[in-house]
Amino acid sequence: MVRVEPPVLIKDLDEDAFRARYQCDRFTATVLSSRLRYIVQHMCTGLLTNAFSVILRDWYDFASTIAGPPELDYPTPAVSNSLVLFLGTMTDAVRNAVEEFGPQNLQPGDVLMCNDPYRIGTHVNDVCFIRPVFFEGRLVGFVNLQAHMLDMGGVVPAGFSGTKRNVYENGLVIGPQLLYHDDRPVKSAWSLIFDNARFGNLLLPDIKTIYQNLRLGENLLLETIQRYGVESYLGAVRYACDLSAETMRQALARLPDGEFEGEDFIDCDGVDDSEEYHVKVKVRIRGDRAEVDLSGSSRQARTSINGGWLDAKTAVAVALKYLLDPRSPFTSGTLRNVDIVLPEGTFFSAMPPDGAIFLYWESTQPLLLAIFRALKEALGPNAVGGDYCSLNIHNANGVRNGVPWVTMAQCGGEHGPWGATKDGDADSYMVFYLANNLDPATEAIEADFPCVVLRKEYATDTAGAGRHRGGAAVVKDTLWLTEAEHYSMPLHTKAPSGFGVYGGKDGAVGAVWVWEPEAYEQVQQAGLVGFDEAVYRQATPVAGVLNPESHTLDRQGRYFHFARVPIWRTRPRTMFRYLTNGGGGWGNPLERPPERVLRDVRDEYISIETARELYGVVIQGDPQHDPEGLQIDYEATQALRNAAASQRH
Amino acid sequence: MSVYPRSSEPFLFVHKEPVQGQCPECGSYNLRRYPVLSEGGWWLVTKCQDCLFSLERERWGRLGSIQLLSETL
Ligand SMILES: [Zn+2]
Repeated sequence: MVRVEPPVLIKDLDEDAFRARYQCDRFTATVLSSRLRYIVQHMCTGLLTNAFSVILRDWYDFASTIAGPPELDYPTPAVSNSLVLFLGTMTDAVRNAVEEFGPQNLQPGDVLMCNDPYRIGTHVNDVCFIRPVFFEGRLVGFVNLQAHMLDMGGVVPAGFSGTKRNVYENGLVIGPQLLYHDDRPVKSAWSLIFDNARFGNLLLPDIKTIYQNLRLGENLLLETIQRYGVESYLGAVRYACDLSAETMRQALARLPDGEFEGEDFIDCDGVDDSEEYHVKVKVRIRGDRAEVDLSGSSRQARTSINGGWLDAKTAVAVALKYLLDPRSPFTSGTLRNVDIVLPEGTFFSAMPPDGAIFLYWESTQPLLLAIFRALKEALGPNAVGGDYCSLNIHNANGVRNGVPWVTMAQCGGEHGPWGATKDGDADSYMVFYLANNLDPATEAIEADFPCVVLRKEYATDTAGAGRHRGGAAVVKDTLWLTEAEHYSMPLHTKAPSGFGVYGGKDGAVGAVWVWEPEAYEQVQQAGLVGFDEAVYRQATPVAGVLNPESHTLDRQGRYFHFARVPIWRTRPRTMFRYLTNGGGGWGNPLERPPERVLRDVRDEYISIETARELYGVVIQGDPQHDPEGLQIDYEATQALRNAAASQRH
Repeated sequence: MSVYPRSSEPFLFVHKEPVQGQCPECGSYNLRRYPVLSEGGWWLVTKCQDCLFSLERERWGRLGSIQLLSETL
């Protein structure tokens, strides 16, 4: 047997060894890797501040990376601080697109584009724009922007739906081809988009802006190479990737050896609710090596709720990064010591043409949560609670004054809570773990679309209890003022996604309802719709596990299938309500200081009843009408907590 | 794009093919060959199932087993 010595840590390399490996000194390598991250961030800022379409301007639905040259195998030393879903896919996206096109066919002034989920990940609306960078005639790397286009054709305006059955319904697929050649637009490529996609008048300026920001990135990169030399630059590219490979390797080694299993699932697909889709994950740790085996997971769905193999890869990388190695930058080196055993044809590795991919994050976010669940015991106090998981996305379109409009991811349950950690309570208004975006402003939504956002607030008694409380579910009510078509896509309502850790409790599950105009007029008070049973009785369930009579949340109730009405065609003054899942708690709720429980009651995160039942804290007063007059009954609290503690033992 | 039908099995598994030999690192005879996804894309690995040491790693399909019809031109 050979004893393999652990490699010398980068920080332990002496000056000569460092220079021999990276062709520059340590200080230069550090400066250059920071500089590469500055460049991608600058490219993103340029796009954010100049974009017209709401999904770029108000959601930050794009990302930027730099990739090294083909002879280094396209490493990604720098990713932007933006949409996480793209950061993992873009390394392979650039490699796969450039290799198929042929790196030898690229010239200075080219921009290559590709949007095929089976080649580059995510969905067809996300076009990856790739700018080869040449220095003194040599291809030294790529600057890249992947950005969500408002529309990419297909049967659903804006594309967001869980009901499309194959790639042909899904939208235009673009294999790798040139969008610019010699810095001139390739008209046939632009026409391909404009002839197949809606809202070309918005796509045109946005793509031009993307092109300008690729040029910005190229110029900044060339200035950098000019100043520091091409060998230093290439050394820094490898240094940045090696460093994150090393920190992940060390993080894996800190885990105990073993096999850790986790599972999560989504409710169903867009055909019917006959089949749930389960992720099964087994994480095997041996020293500083890991294997993440997804065998035993469900086959692909029959409609566009699927994700692709690169989305699965991203979810694994991000899960491990969150849990084990959050402090070093994310690069393509992150997965160096990790192998993913991924059956092809699952609902997160769907195959063409019938494994339609659109709501890919709905499939890969449960994958991330399954890894969080698998490792929670091994991590002990470092475990992280589950989040609200499903984006509960709402997509609507119509025509106002003869002009078509489309809104996406603005008026559903797209923002919600995270799970708690050892560091504190969780935030309640975030994007799910695999994203990192903005919250579209209510004023902008109401200016752009015929709707009024009536509520955007936290729901009481939905947060997972814990010494550190999970985030509270978000409730969002939107009144639609004109006729419209809606697609609603909540996919994780059958069981909590916000699982508790380290003794913490699970968060609640959510649901979606619609009040038709007559029902809305009947239940509204000063425009607002309340939360009483009488109010829900007038609602039509969209999705969730609900009491069939009263339509209130009821774990013993019946599941209402989200796509039993594939398109909600509504009349003016119809209201949709989205309630997200709650986030998981961390630690034993009986150990939460009573003063913090009091504050949660005052702020209506929890009720007086929940304070007593889950936290063992007795509070007296009226949180609605006299929040500052609330008082803790310390004696009763101590008695209750003692009784609860003795019951546990 | 070639056509890949939906599986008739509800749950899917990666087949790990047994391979003759011994792990040079831990001495185990439990070696298997199967595709994995990692840094650099898809690899066909021969790997020790006890210590996860890779005896061999060769490139697998760029898109896994997905074949582009245009590659047959
Ligand atoms: Zn071994």
